[in-house]
Amino acid sequence: MKNKTNRLPQEAGARPSRCPDNSAFKQQRLPAWKPQLTIASVLSSFFLIGAFCLLVGICLILSANSVREFQINYSDKCSECSKLRENTSNWNKECHCSVNFTLKEDMLGDVFMYYGLQNFYQNHRRYVISRSDAQLLGRSVNIEKSYCAPFTTYQNGTPMAPCGAIANSMFNDTIDLFYNLNSSVVQVPLLKTGNSWWTDKNVKFRNPKSYNLSSAFAGTARPPYWQKPVYLLDEEDERNNGYVNDDFIIWMRVSAFATFRNLYRRIGRVRQFVDGLPAGNYTFRISYNFPVSKFKGRKHVILSTVVWSGGSNPFLGIAYVVTGTAATLMGFVITAIHLKLRKKKTYFQK
Amino acid sequence: RSMNAFLIVYLCILISKALINTVLKYVWQSEPFRDEPWYNQKTEPERKRNLFLQALTDFLAFMVLFNYIIPVSMYVTVEMQKFLGSYFLTWDEEMFDEDTGEGPLVNTSDLNEELGQIEYVFTDKTGTLTENNMEFVECCIEGHVYVPHVICNGQILHDCTGIDMIDSSPGGSGKEREDLFFRALCLCHTVQVKDDDSVDGLRKNQLSKPCIYISSSPDEVALVEGIQRLGYTYLRLKDNFMEILNRENNIEKFELLEVLSFDSVRRRMSVIVKSSGGDIFLFCKGADSSIFPRVKEGKIDQIRSRVERNAVEGLRTLCVAYKKLTAEEYSCAQKLLQNAKLALQDREKKLAEVYEKIERDFILLGATAVEDRLQEKAADTIESLQKAGIKVWVLTGDKMETAAATCYACKLFRRNTQLLELTTKKIEEQSLHDVLFDLSKTVLRHSGSLTRDTFSGLSTDMQDYGLIIDGAALSLIMKPRQDGSSANYRELFLEICRNCSAVLCCRMAPLQKAQIVKLIKLSKEHPITLAIGDGANDVSMILEAHVGIGIIGKEGRQAARNSDYAIPKFKHLKKMLLVHGHFYYVRISELVQYFFYKNVCFIFPQFLYQFFCGFSQQTLYDTAYLTLYNISFTSLPILLYGLMEQHVSADTLKREPSLYRDVAKNALLRWRAFIYWTFLGVFDAVVFFFGAYFLFDNTVVTSNGQMFGNWTFGTVVFTVLVFTVTLKLALDTHYWTWINHFMIWGSLVFYIVFSLLWGGIIWPFLNYQRMYYVFMQMLSSGPAWLGIILLITVSLLPDVLKKVLCRQLWPTATERIQNASRHCREHISEFTPLACLKSPRYRSSDCSHSPARRSNSHSKKMMFTHWRGIDYSVLPSVFGYSNKQGRSRAGYRYSGSGLETSV
Repeated sequence: MKNKTNRLPQEAGARPSRCPDNSAFKQQRLPAWKPQLTIASVLSSFFLIGAFCLLVGICLILSANSVREFQINYSDKCSECSKLRENTSNWNKECHCSVNFTLKEDMLGDVFMYYGLQNFYQNHRRYVISRSDAQLLGRSVNIEKSYCAPFTTYQNGTPMAPCGAIANSMFNDTIDLFYNLNSSVVQVPLLKTGNSWWTDKNVKFRNPKSYNLSSAFAGTARPPYWQKPVYLLDEEDERNNGYVNDDFIIWMRVSAFATFRNLYRRIGRVRQFVDGLPAGNYTFRISYNFPVSKFKGRKHVILSTVVWSGGSNPFLGIAYVVTGTAATLMGFVITAIHLKLRKKKTYFQK
Repeated sequence: RSMNAFLIVYLCILISKALINTVLKYVWQSEPFRDEPWYNQKTEPERKRNLFLQALTDFLAFMVLFNYIIPVSMYVTVEMQKFLGSYFLTWDEEMFDEDTGEGPLVNTSDLNEELGQIEYVFTDKTGTLTENNMEFVECCIEGHVYVPHVICNGQILHDCTGIDMIDSSPGGSGKEREDLFFRALCLCHTVQVKDDDSVDGLRKNQLSKPCIYISSSPDEVALVEGIQRLGYTYLRLKDNFMEILNRENNIEKFELLEVLSFDSVRRRMSVIVKSSGGDIFLFCKGADSSIFPRVKEGKIDQIRSRVERNAVEGLRTLCVAYKKLTAEEYSCAQKLLQNAKLALQDREKKLAEVYEKIERDFILLGATAVEDRLQEKAADTIESLQKAGIKVWVLTGDKMETAAATCYACKLFRRNTQLLELTTKKIEEQSLHDVLFDLSKTVLRHSGSLTRDTFSGLSTDMQDYGLIIDGAALSLIMKPRQDGSSANYRELFLEICRNCSAVLCCRMAPLQKAQIVKLIKLSKEHPITLAIGDGANDVSMILEAHVGIGIIGKEGRQAARNSDYAIPKFKHLKKMLLVHGHFYYVRISELVQYFFYKNVCFIFPQFLYQFFCGFSQQTLYDTAYLTLYNISFTSLPILLYGLMEQHVSADTLKREPSLYRDVAKNALLRWRAFIYWTFLGVFDAVVFFFGAYFLFDNTVVTSNGQMFGNWTFGTVVFTVLVFTVTLKLALDTHYWTWINHFMIWGSLVFYIVFSLLWGGIIWPFLNYQRMYYVFMQMLSSGPAWLGIILLITVSLLPDVLKKVLCRQLWPTATERIQNASRHCREHISEFTPLACLKSPRYRSSDCSHSPARRSNSHSKKMMFTHWRGIDYSVLPSVFGYSNKQGRSRAGYRYSGSGLETSV
């Protein structure tokens, strides 16, 4: 590969006026780099790509293997609650459920707690557009203009805050984690803030301005499926209340697929949980509110650690290894073909 | 042209996609918990809507969602490419004619790519192949050759009146013959002298100023002018006396007694003159075939060989003979003529008989050679066109012999070309039916053996056929018959033509020219035709052909004005077709295919996404991305490619006309290529979508445990898409100017900058902020980076692999040339063995840019055939190592045989 510059010598003047310019561009003679698929460049690139992919792939697989993940399907385990929730009329009856499990190994490092939903089409078009970003920015807007319908206003005209199907269907189970240590039960500290994107929390979601939160939401009503209004989402922490509630913000970021998980809590690394979750017996205590059996969905609760390459997804590592292997093999095949053809050629030259 | 077919396919794909999705949507929705789960309720009006109406709305919504698969922007880009691209033609310096100060004109930019697809060239002769400017070249007296001095563009230089004699020592009788010869030429014609200014002016400048001669035949003018340069000037015909200024500046007077005028049956003319000394001479000049049988004395053999040599060179030859008449003979002849002229019945027949009687027992003096000068490089151009697999037909109004001579001169017919004649004369002898069948039998037997020969890989020198047909015969063939057999004749005629490498149609009326073009145009292969001409009589054919080219010539601008393109000279056709046409075709075909490809890549993930979002028409990409994808992210690089790409250099294309065959018959836009691109697009789309799907598959993609949503997913897919599609084009680009670099890398940078900006601000005028910080968050995640890199690599690898393998196993001529030129440039060891095999030859012929070698067309031709020969012998054994490749070999053979017929 070599730069070829073939610029015509610029002849000065003395040409008829109608004669076209003798510029390199007009004569299509701009200096150009003319890359060729040479055997050397092709083979080296194939082998380089192969080596690179294999290397990255192995790193990824190794690091993904160090991720610990634990997952429980609690909609099956709490079948009574599931049944109760199937009937809409029982919506305000509380239902609690405990799920025991054992961690066989320690989960070291930051441990994240996710709730997972299956068969919940958050990516349905009608669902995705059913929100008002302007409202969530704390502006007083006419949400009639948004796509929030049918969760815009009540029949008496009171607007819903927040409006729309996404907000209305917010995940409202409460999950607590307890560590059973020698017959004593220790509640695992869970952090409920800092789980959402910083920009979402600080820019994209704003409460309406007012002297206090409940007055800010005066004149609005909670969405129909909510048990409490938006300004009571977190009564303990003023900065995690209203629209800027982390759980709410996370829910509002709709998932790409019908099976998804959202970050629910992080394990606070204090006391015996400084290094993460030690192996042992644990209990999830769940306040079961969110009905999933009606759409044949499932709910999971997931405990997971995370490394630089994300969670426990072997796909990326495997894909890299496969690609690397394929590229290397192709390199060998090309070499073989090349050698074979060259042999033929020498034969012919004799 | 194939674009429209492709579009229809895509339209079908679009409709079927929308249909599939609509149907699946209703199947999927049939369970109520899916149609309207509690978390996602419909509004009242939606619920009440009629099911059929709803289905229709859904169908239309899917159509809107997938409409990008029909690349609307392609039409804009194609038009822009054609329009801007045609400027390169007008700007081309090599196609600028210094003499006339004219450059090429582009009257339509619609046909640029057709220039790369021409299969038939119909050319006018006079004024197109030739300059319409006769030139006396030499005369041969008694075997001595006389060449007039310097000739410059048909203008005689005043100081060049001397004689350049090759053998300047004629003996005594030789001298006498020479004088007679010159006098014969001076006297035996029907030229009239036009006094330029006045008689007075003429007299004054007699010696130096050439008179202006006018004649019905340009040959005679050329002859008289030529003789003038040899020292004998014909002054005028005055009172039946012809005045000649001889070499000693004496005026000789001859009394013109009789003119036995020219006719095309006798193909000769004679004059009977009486010299001032009282001798009566009969001078005759005519075609060799009509003179030689009547000669009784003279150096026949020497002159005949000279004449033949000249004829082969494409010169128009005439023989000159004389006879000295005694007074009795003359009076006898005069009587006979008188009687014949006065005859009331069969006058022409009687005249012919009398001429026959009088014109005999000549003494041969010599021969002349006149050249209707070919346009410069006409032969080279025609040769190149033929090598490029283009069939060249010459359509002319001239008579057969002249036309044939020109065809020989411009190498349309070669010495080994076997001529098939389909002329009125022949049809008179046999019936049209028989003639046609005979010819087709000859030709078909030949072509049958040809295919076998090419299969054995040994035939390199083969007999080719040239067909000569005249207007009358053509009209017989074209004439519709009552019994409906005309179609049969037409087919037969086409069959013959198809197997002839060159066809000459003489004595054509302008409308017949158009008729021929139409006949070929509508024949069953629907070849692309090109007509080129300069005069008003060519306009009909120019209009009829797919591409009409006018020569900006002497005969006014009518042809140029009615044409699609106008060029100053015939030779410019070579660059126009072989270089510009080739480029245009390669560019536009890549452009079209690439557009389809990138839109498949773009929209197919969208289609796949419908299976995961409940067929709800949810878009995968943000609206801004949907809108800008075709407008700004991916449009400029391909437009630039469409303007700048040169897969091989222009010089190489000009040097190797055979490369034109690589793109012939729409090779790059065939269904196979189209399907390949489409599948590549689908493959890439599947890689993008499922790659990202598994990457996001219910797992964490960040290192801080946070989750990404659907817009991040879409953005990942879109980022991979933009990069892959742009890099694919980068891989296809063979010619990287700074503009290409700027555009390709620029549009990638633009995409990134745009995304950062688009996601970086809460846009006040938008009622949604879904992209807010999505792109930045994606960039902050390591696995997303790795995933993007992996997916780009994976989607590009197969195409690279395919290219590499095809290049190694079945290299096209273009690729071999590319390799060879690289090889020559760098002198590094080989990549493709074929290139290496040939490279020594290349080095000698092409890489040493010595003008001497290049001008030596003969050695080049030899080189070419040699090269071809090697190719054919090498290919089978190189490829013959597996059965699978055997098939492709057959394909190659097939194209090979196709191309051999026309050489």
